[in-house]
Amino acid sequence: MKKKILIVGGGTAGTMTANNLAKKLMYEIDKDEVEITMISNSKYHYYRPGAMYVAFHKASGHEFVREQRTLLMPEVKFLVDEAIEIDTNSNYVKGKSGTKYSYDFVILATGCEVAVDRIPGLKEGGNWFYSYDGAKKLAEKFAELKKGRVLVTVNFPKTPDVPHQCGIAPIETTIMLHDYLKEQGIREDIEIIYTYPKVAQAVTDGLFLQGPTSKVLPSIFDGIGVKYKTSFTLNKVDPEKKIAYSEEGEEIEFDILMSTPPFIATKFIRESGLSKAVDDEGWLPTDKKTLKVKGYENIYTLGDTVDLPVSKAGGTIHNQTDVVADNIASEIRYGYPTESYDGKVIAIAQMGLSCGMPLWYDYKEDVQPTPCSKLGSFVRKGFNMGIYWAAARGMV
Amino acid sequence: MSEKVEVLKTKEMQELEEKFAMLVQTGRIDNIIDLLAVVSDNIEMTTAPMVDKMVGTIDNLATAGFITQNAVRYANREIKKNEVPSLFGLLKLLKDEDTRKGLAFVLHLTKGIGKQV
Ligand SMILES: Cc1cc2nc3c(=O)[nH]c(=O)nc-3n(C[C@H](O)[C@H](O)[C@H](O)COP(=O)(O)OP(=O)(O)OC[C@H]3O[C@@H](n4cnc5c(N)ncnc54)[C@H](O)[C@@H]3O)c2cc1C
Repeated sequence: MKKKILIVGGGTAGTMTANNLAKKLMYEIDKDEVEITMISNSKYHYYRPGAMYVAFHKASGHEFVREQRTLLMPEVKFLVDEAIEIDTNSNYVKGKSGTKYSYDFVILATGCEVAVDRIPGLKEGGNWFYSYDGAKKLAEKFAELKKGRVLVTVNFPKTPDVPHQCGIAPIETTIMLHDYLKEQGIREDIEIIYTYPKVAQAVTDGLFLQGPTSKVLPSIFDGIGVKYKTSFTLNKVDPEKKIAYSEEGEEIEFDILMSTPPFIATKFIRESGLSKAVDDEGWLPTDKKTLKVKGYENIYTLGDTVDLPVSKAGGTIHNQTDVVADNIASEIRYGYPTESYDGKVIAIAQMGLSCGMPLWYDYKEDVQPTPCSKLGSFVRKGFNMGIYWAAARGMV
Repeated sequence: MSEKVEVLKTKEMQELEEKFAMLVQTGRIDNIIDLLAVVSDNIEMTTAPMVDKMVGTIDNLATAGFITQNAVRYANREIKKNEVPSLFGLLKLLKDEDTRKGLAFVLHLTKGIGKQV
């Protein structure tokens, strides 16, 4: 009988996996033994890191959007519908349209979303670059800024050992902000304060979520005159007085609050009954090797929605996608999964507007910071402007 | 009495030294220096807009490759599955929206080529 593979979510994770699966299972598709369907609640696909460049007037945003259909191989059936329910006994996902999508294997890849409401006053008083709308508002504020203080704050999920989206983004944007203000000729008139919460994934009282990078950050920040403060766990914002308060009892005034807000899994996943994450955050309990949702033989997940201790980043997904595709292909062919994820994450961090730092880590080894370079920045920009689309199509 | 100071070298350093000695003796070290200078100059001379344009070109080629590769595979599969259509069968194919979209694309493509030749 024909095997049905359903992919929910047309972002980085869903798209890469759909194409990789179509490639791996082409023989079975040709024989009409396998069918791959994707549903996503948007007709469009956003390259999310592009939002950072919008915040600093380096892009307008449209460069980073494409129609989802154009990124998928024709063997993948694509439908715009929003998943609202999953029935793991009868093996189907229900869409908002009323359609029930039955599956033999399902891949849950709906990412995560910002939950600014979880901190009183943050929505009104803060700004964030984790969405294109947010980044545009931040860009408008930066355009008006002539003197004062930009405060950077970072929040972590309450679920232990789970990071926020793109771990390195707060550092990237702090250094980009420094370069941007220098470009504008107003760096001397603006104070930048970078803060980090007391508990950040596995690190306590640090400036980054991994030890080695946390240790080198002070010298990097000293070099560019960025002030820093650890153990500032944002828990309240007064939008009128423009004051940020921490759980530790401190307060800092700001002109612009550039925040990494709390993140949670999407509504569909939070309400699916599959997660037991604290505070209703919804992260899927994921087997760190097979990438199956724990307790379910035919549900896979990857990307921002998992509860693994690895970065919620495209550079993570690029390594997870082949494991998921290989495992599903092996299950169809032999009846069991054959691949194992080692936690590898590969990325190039944008350290300022013209410096790029290649980095990698896995379950066993933390990031070892290396000097950033102009060449690294070119590779990063190349990725932003084009290579990403080839990667999403499963071409690299 | 002065003591003889011995500089301890790691095994890796010794190996590196031997390899470098050979490069110096054979005169090849100059090539490496030349190569590094060329690479270094090229990095310095490359500008962000150049990278943007180059990547844009690569992206266009990749997109064209993706579309063509997929279309050829699809067409092959359909040809194998079905009999060669009669004249009437061809007309029936034209009823399909995707076919018409593809045909319109090919006609526009032809026009685009026409504008350049
Ligand atoms: C500002 C910023 C900077 C970043 N920088 C980097 C970086 O430098 N390097 C890096 O590797 N990564 C970076 N990332 C992270 C990277 O973009 C994400 O990790 C990646 O996009 C996550 O992919 P995903 O597929 O899990 O989720 P997404 O890409 O968010 O995709 C989720 C998809 O699911 C769909 N969806 C949601 N709910 C439903 C539903 N109920 N039904 C159907 N469809 C649904 C959405 O429409 C979307 O298509 C950055 C992210 C941001 C925001």
